[in-house]
Amino acid sequence: MKPGSLLARHVAPVPTSRRWLVPMAWFILLLMLSAGMGQLEWLFRLVEPDVREVIYRRAGFFALLGQHVMVVGVASLLAVLLGVGGAIAVTRPAGRDFLPLVSQLASIGQTFPPVAVLALAVPALGFGTLPIVVALLLYGLLPIVRNTLAGIDGIDPDVHEAARGMGMTAGEVLRQVELPLAAPVIIAGIRTSVTVNIATAALGATVGASNLGDPIIAGIVNGNTAYIVQGALLIGLLAITVDSVFERLQPASQA
Amino acid sequence: MGEGRVSPNWVVLSLMLACLAAWLILDAVSVAPNRIVPGSAYAALEIMSGWPALLLTAPMLAVVVLAWRPDQQRLKLALATTVLLLALLPLWLSAATAVLVEPSMPQARVGIGPSLWLLLFLLLLVLIELRTRLALSRSMGWCLLLPMIVSWWLSLALWLEPLALQREYQARSAQFTSALTMHLVLVGAAVAASLVLAALLALAMRRHAGIRRAGFGVLNFLQTIPSLALFGLLLAPLAWLGTHVDWLAAIGVSGIGWAPAFLALLGYSLLPMVRNIHVALEEVDPAVIESARGMGMSRRQVFLQVRLPLALPIVIEGIRITTVQAIGLTAVAALIGAGGLGTFIFQGLGQAAMDMVLLGALPIIVMALFADALFGSLSERLRQGGTA
Repeated sequence: MKPGSLLARHVAPVPTSRRWLVPMAWFILLLMLSAGMGQLEWLFRLVEPDVREVIYRRAGFFALLGQHVMVVGVASLLAVLLGVGGAIAVTRPAGRDFLPLVSQLASIGQTFPPVAVLALAVPALGFGTLPIVVALLLYGLLPIVRNTLAGIDGIDPDVHEAARGMGMTAGEVLRQVELPLAAPVIIAGIRTSVTVNIATAALGATVGASNLGDPIIAGIVNGNTAYIVQGALLIGLLAITVDSVFERLQPASQA
Repeated sequence: MGEGRVSPNWVVLSLMLACLAAWLILDAVSVAPNRIVPGSAYAALEIMSGWPALLLTAPMLAVVVLAWRPDQQRLKLALATTVLLLALLPLWLSAATAVLVEPSMPQARVGIGPSLWLLLFLLLLVLIELRTRLALSRSMGWCLLLPMIVSWWLSLALWLEPLALQREYQARSAQFTSALTMHLVLVGAAVAASLVLAALLALAMRRHAGIRRAGFGVLNFLQTIPSLALFGLLLAPLAWLGTHVDWLAAIGVSGIGWAPAFLALLGYSLLPMVRNIHVALEEVDPAVIESARGMGMSRRQVFLQVRLPLALPIVIEGIRITTVQAIGLTAVAALIGAGGLGTFIFQGLGQAAMDMVLLGALPIIVMALFADALFGSLSERLRQGGTA
């Protein structure tokens, strides 16, 4: 039994080039819209005929998009490293003691609303980008930890036994059996984490980070719907692009 | 591990040592003469020449010792000590306040420092760990929090008037009550409406595969749109409706306010609700239905007496997810003028008044935890009743 074959069974038999068509389309649309928002002035004029300025110009959309992706990217990357690493650590014999606490913490923590986590990070860390990255990291950790634990826990003990019987070391069992088998569940956790973080990062505009939430907040404050639509469109597109990437990554087992 | 020796409970041990370090090193309280001037911070040992702080380290050390050779008896003792510690914290804070705040400072504000927050968090973790080790029931776990709650309530009522959070609350208690009510009303309305709509939708989905595919497609899509964006996008159409349709304007529909918030909450609530109701109705064992039909039950009876009771725990699970999610999203709705506790968060962030942020954020977290516990235990109980 080649360990790779365990995973191969789950992957949908669509050719790779075709599979990435949808995410690519969303991505190109996102880039085109960020670059060419100014060209659509006539359209936003229809939405807001009376205001002087219909295109948000306090910062370029590309820069805002970049900052948004940057913040979410850094936080998510750290969350994946810490979350998967932590979950692996507490499922090893040496860390087993911490397993009940960590899994309970991960499920209790999920009931904390993301806004509240963000709001609590600011008194602790001040304004700016740092509290957002920390808040997103903390909040993003939970679904990843929870799903990694569930994924590793859900593996049939017989499979484990067989792998050990074949003479695999503990490290090999982890890399070649446990992680590939748990991958779909882990990826589902990362997907939830990143999607929620894209939405929560937009709220960062209220604590002084500049990102795609900025036009929305500015629009709400000034009563300028065109700004809101621009921010909302780009955040929505970013969320859908990322989500569709994960949809391709994630094998078919889905409710 | 030698024979006859129990290995230490490393979890409690390390958490408690972290508690000790936080307590002895970090700042416990800060005192500011008024709302604007930044306060000066004090570590626990600097207050009351340190002895009450040292007194509190005794129970912490006791737990460390108990966790070194844990057996059932010692773990119970450690649990009792932790509960005691949690109850002692507000009393210590009261004493510190009495010492630090002089009568000549009527506007003085006492802030809770990182040491106390960390201690609170770590001690609650110890409590969770010990509860799990001792296999105590969920309700017993809640009872363990009672001494702490009573102690906080007593301290807040009698001695902690200068606490910044308390001052912030007293300055706007009427506003707080109405925000809390608005929050609960919005969440309740959205969850109730989504329950009804989702039930209808799920029933339609059972009949037609086409509706099922389209429905889940749309709802999944909706769920990926960030809340801030959806709230924002609903502003324009509702503003238009509010100005062009008279009867809608009469009931208060406008771009800003409860209408877009309610619609967005409803949209987000539908997916988890529909999914759970759908799963609940689908997953009832066909053999059970078969035998019910065999007993001569009508379709209606099968639905009401067999399917529904079996599905109820999963439906309540859906209500739990939806309610917790709606409590958090309603906080965001404050940005579009829907009111609710989020108002304090965003106003506080705008004025850099962190105690006001806490005044909004803490009740939201408590509400979410409470809703989670309530519906969680309800569905658990129904499930047990169903299998018994």
